Amino acid sequence: MDKDTSSPGILHRGAFIYYVGSVVFAAGIALLAVGTAFVMIFRIHHGSEPEKIILCLIFTGVGTTLILTGINLMMRQTQYGYYIIGASAFISVLALLIFTSNYPHNWHYPLISYILALYVIGFLMLLGNAFANVILWMIEGTDKAVVGREGEIKLYTDEEIERDIEEATRKSIELSASKLEFKEPGVEGVRLGKVFRETRGNTSRVKDDIREAKSLRKTIRPGERMKSGSTEVEGISRSLGDILRKSAVEKGRFGRIEDKIKAEVKKFYSFIGVNRK
Amino acid sequence: MAKGLDIGTMNIICSEREEEDVVFTQQRNAFLELESSDLTKTMLDSAKVLYIEKDARTYVLGEDAFKFATIFGKEARRPMRYGIISPEEKDAIPMIKLIVERVLGEPAHRNEVLCISSPADPIDLDMNALYHKKMMEALARRMRYETHVIDEGLGVIYSELSDYNFTGLGISMGAGLTNVTLAYLATPVMSFSIGRGGDWIDEQVSITTGLSKEYVCAEKEKGFKMGMEVEYGSADGALSIYYDALMTYIIKNLNRKLAEITPPKVEFPVALAGGSSRPTGFLRMFEQKLKEAKLQIEISNIKLAKDPLYSVARGCLIAARTQEGEEIGESKTEEGAA
Repeated sequence: MDKDTSSPGILHRGAFIYYVGSVVFAAGIALLAVGTAFVMIFRIHHGSEPEKIILCLIFTGVGTTLILTGINLMMRQTQYGYYIIGASAFISVLALLIFTSNYPHNWHYPLISYILALYVIGFLMLLGNAFANVILWMIEGTDKAVVGREGEIKLYTDEEIERDIEEATRKSIELSASKLEFKEPGVEGVRLGKVFRETRGNTSRVKDDIREAKSLRKTIRPGERMKSGSTEVEGISRSLGDILRKSAVEKGRFGRIEDKIKAEVKKFYSFIGVNRK
Repeated sequence: MAKGLDIGTMNIICSEREEEDVVFTQQRNAFLELESSDLTKTMLDSAKVLYIEKDARTYVLGEDAFKFATIFGKEARRPMRYGIISPEEKDAIPMIKLIVERVLGEPAHRNEVLCISSPADPIDLDMNALYHKKMMEALARRMRYETHVIDEGLGVIYSELSDYNFTGLGISMGAGLTNVTLAYLATPVMSFSIGRGGDWIDEQVSITTGLSKEYVCAEKEKGFKMGMEVEYGSADGALSIYYDALMTYIIKNLNRKLAEITPPKVEFPVALAGGSSRPTGFLRMFEQKLKEAKLQIEISNIKLAKDPLYSVARGCLIAARTQEGEEIGESKTEEGAA
């Protein structure tokens, strides 16, 4: 996690934490939905079997805890926010574990109160943490709106300022030097040797098409219109066609997965519908 | 037809396209003063030695200067030092002019496009390359070339990194300087040089081993292999040590400069070139050091130029042909509009 120095009380949540939070939230929703479904399927009442009651309560209890934990993880947290989330989730889960180990043979006052209190404390801590972070976020946003948008103030060191000044000075000197005209250096009365006129130096010949010049022109001026032969155009069209075909195939795969999920959800709804009757 | 010109401390190389080939014309950037006499001139002419006569003095130019320096026990004079015109050499500019004129030849037509390489300002020496850049530009303009100047490191990028859209790090290890340029889509993001190169290695090895700089240079160019087992006190061992030190120094300064900029968040390939990068084992050693350095940019791969000595000149030719192509395109657009 990176510390945002511009707002000392708030920690930046990384993208990873956000995705973890969303997964936890989704898992919580799923568990809560399953727990609720079990309540309806088993038709829970005061005379129901203890195992069924435990199952329903565990699913709903854990699901609720995960939903609130996920919501908290998806938010920006204060300095100890993550510790609060961890502690409150732990307290809630602990309460559920104690419930599981004590129901129904040891299910009496005052244990019931303690377990309930423990779970509610965990629940309220998660809820309260989320609420507090939302309020802080809203306050921060309001402050900016009231005071007015200020650009980030960057502090420059002396070395950076000196460097920028040197760079600007150097550029202006170079530009001014371009306008100077030079006199021929002292080469009057020079007599050249015979070899001077015969050859230019040690030569070496290399087979080289220096196609880099064309690439460099394209890189420097990417928007330039270039003359292309039909072969080149055909090649580019073929590559484009391949890309489009590939994305269509991938869409088909994703489409099938989407259809499968929709079918499962329909089945589930129809199942519930049958039970309702 | 455009041309590229790499004006280096040790070599001046011109590149031009001839039909399906690229022709590189090379001349050593050195000269030696000899006693002038008719006999000397006759001897030099018959031996086909490159020389000039000025103010009753004879100057041997190019590779022959080194050969004659060995014969006469003298040191060849170098018009350039640390990649730029040597301030200690009063005959520097006329000599460079003569060598450049010979290597470049006459333009095929007036205002033929020419792209010359120039070092970037060094970050570890108290000097800048502006005077050198402007003098070379003026020399070429006098020869009726339409002259453009690019950094040496950028020349390496143009020559070696076209497959990567001219995005990457170009390092040219020359004799006087090591030039480094970081470019993104052919646009330089950062460019600097370091005042150490092949000459620095020769100097250090010469001081350490007591061998002459010319001998060390010759050994280095003969086929020295880095990283192999070497004898104590041999030139090869000292060369390996100083090559290692130079690489470490380059990478350290590279990291320092990278910390001052915000490069794009992409992977950068690295291209190495320059005469001093030719020894066998150089690429492997540099790659190892680069991986250990943990630079502030992601490095995708490291490659050595196919022809390290000619890479900058080739890059200049590519830039010149690109420029020529643009001008042809612009003139056609103007004609069409008219």
